[in-house]
Amino acid sequence: MKILNLKETSKHDATAQSVKILRAEGLVIYPTETVYGAGVDATNPAAVKKLGEYKSRPFGKPFSIAVADWKMAEKYVVLNETAKKLYRQFLPGPLTIISKLKTLNSSNPSNHFLSPGVASEAGTLGIRISSYPLVAKIVRSLGRPITATSANEAYKKRPYQISDILFNISDRKKQLIDLIIDAGELPRNEPSTVIDTTLDDQTVLRQGDIQLKDKIHILSRTPENTQNLAKELWQKYEGFVGKRAIIFALEGQLGAGKTEFTKGLARAMGIKKEITSPTFNLVNHYSLLFTPYSLLHIDAWRLESSSELGSLDFSKTISDKSVIAVEWADRVTNVIRRYQEEAVIIWVKIKYGKSKNDRLISWGIF
Amino acid sequence: MTILSIDTSCDETAVAVTDGNRVLSNIIWSQALLHSKWGGVVPSLAKRAHQERLPWVVSKAVHDSRLTINEIDAIAATIGPGLAIALEVGIAKAKELALKWHKPLIPVNHLEGHILSPLAWSTISNQQLTINNLNFPFAALVVSGGHTELVLVKKIGEYQILVRTIDDALGEALDKAARMLGLGYPGGAVLEKLAKTGNPSTYKLPLPLLGRENQGKFSYSGLKTAFYRLTNEKSLTKQEIYDLAASFQNTSFEHLIRIVKKSVLSLRATLQTGRGNPEITDFLVGGGVASNIELRKRLRNLGKKFGLKIHFPYSKKLCTDNAAMIGLAGQWAFARGELKRTKEEIESIDRIPGLDFSLGLPLSRA
Repeated sequence: MKILNLKETSKHDATAQSVKILRAEGLVIYPTETVYGAGVDATNPAAVKKLGEYKSRPFGKPFSIAVADWKMAEKYVVLNETAKKLYRQFLPGPLTIISKLKTLNSSNPSNHFLSPGVASEAGTLGIRISSYPLVAKIVRSLGRPITATSANEAYKKRPYQISDILFNISDRKKQLIDLIIDAGELPRNEPSTVIDTTLDDQTVLRQGDIQLKDKIHILSRTPENTQNLAKELWQKYEGFVGKRAIIFALEGQLGAGKTEFTKGLARAMGIKKEITSPTFNLVNHYSLLFTPYSLLHIDAWRLESSSELGSLDFSKTISDKSVIAVEWADRVTNVIRRYQEEAVIIWVKIKYGKSKNDRLISWGIF
Repeated sequence: MTILSIDTSCDETAVAVTDGNRVLSNIIWSQALLHSKWGGVVPSLAKRAHQERLPWVVSKAVHDSRLTINEIDAIAATIGPGLAIALEVGIAKAKELALKWHKPLIPVNHLEGHILSPLAWSTISNQQLTINNLNFPFAALVVSGGHTELVLVKKIGEYQILVRTIDDALGEALDKAARMLGLGYPGGAVLEKLAKTGNPSTYKLPLPLLGRENQGKFSYSGLKTAFYRLTNEKSLTKQEIYDLAASFQNTSFEHLIRIVKKSVLSLRATLQTGRGNPEITDFLVGGGVASNIELRKRLRNLGKKFGLKIHFPYSKKLCTDNAAMIGLAGQWAFARGELKRTKEEIESIDRIPGLDFSLGLPLSRA
């Protein structure tokens, strides 16, 4: 593993060295306008396999790719009107746009060159055109797309600086990295917004700094997606841990996925214990090794009036600066609001969507 | 030995007097009547109700046992798992009685009580199961509103949880399904009644974790979600309600039986490769759902097929939360030396809402 400090290396040099390593099936950690990314040549199966190992990802979970420009994107995907509009308006920039893969035929053999495991099994592909100049330079110089996934392991800290990555991975994983381009600490921008343009309506799958509508909501298609959103929200607010209590106020019908959300939250917090429904006990308590903070999982469904939250030692958990997930928060809204000064309160609403596993999830701090 | 036992782990105020395995009295004052039509719990009210009722329930239990205070050897109390503010009321009462009457106090794990509940004898029946009739190790299943656990009992006082739910408990799922059918909460018992008239194959519900039986998990949240989809915002005819009730009960039990079968068989396989040749031949069932006739039938069929002797508690009152099972477990805890004698020791006993068998022992903390 080699580390290139951008303060001491010219952009030209950094580009040349990256391209050399990418050509040799290597893995490069590179800075972007959001977080540090993990890049391999997206057309090289051995390199993509290596990345899968680094990210501990099961095969079949797709990777987005970074391309240099619109033209390179169209080698791999079909851009419909929705996608074109978004490209025009937002790219280059922190937006990942999912489109359908071009079908393989004799007149168009191009995506033949994309490695298996990059596009989704459903035949869609996420594309990024980064506004960070070095990324475009590397891709252009390589002449092929590179993967655009964040450089951290799933459910681990967002990588805004190289130490965020190296402190959280094993030595074995460190050995998989061939080159790190260190641009110091990046500004704390959100990971890219992810938009799926292959559905009837354009649908936000992950919300970053680019916002399409006033109202933020994403589409979750699987329980795993719901867990993943919880992780994203946790990573966004974990800086408050130990300074203020953090409340995730969850609303949604029976079976909407409130406990699923809490499972993702707990996993991102590093809790190993299985999160189960708190309906019967009203409150479940999960402590974390090595930290004084704990997660309280409360179910307000069986409470008859909001004031009853008080009997569950709610104010003490706030003063203890705990992380609290409250299911059926709409039943106890007024009590939760009382702690606006002392706690960060994130309201999360989960609604049933059109098809069976779809959920529309919106959130905000009000 | 004679024990006066107290359990206030959740909604029921329960006190019993036992003499060895013999239940002399078993008084349960349910709070279900106290709470609203769909069964909300008011924690502070629950706490107050426990406080107000305990003196009466204690004297009724002593009176019905026909013992004098002098003839009682020890006091036992549930210290967890359960609802913190409910647990502390029973513990406080137990401490008060132990100190006033100069009796030792035995802290007991609620789940151990459920596991051992089939060992209870009634005062009239001579059908008596003793631990000498059981082959160790044996398996135990606890199914209730708060528990769905398959446990390996190596000896009395040494437990290993083999399978547990990753989301909702079975009793909770049945109660929530009843709620979706407009049958109130907790409505598992009503659901059972209506299911008798229904056709279990009218509605197709997904069998949880189908094909993944060997993962050793119970799961009911997906089933609950599918059921919500079937019932939501529809006005249902009586027959539809019966059929839905039957379909839900059928699927939830089928899942339970499949996982239990798989786990017991693989347990037998593992044990036989080990030293000696211990064969699982006994299977104890406890918890509120253990009084469901349909479930009993299915477990007995499973037993017939695989040479398992299935043992249920002798009455419904020993299935739901009760104190007799705490007295029963208490006698063995006493024999193991898990008792408090001095004022200091007695006063040090505290509630453990998240009590678990994490180290195999009934009182080891998570």
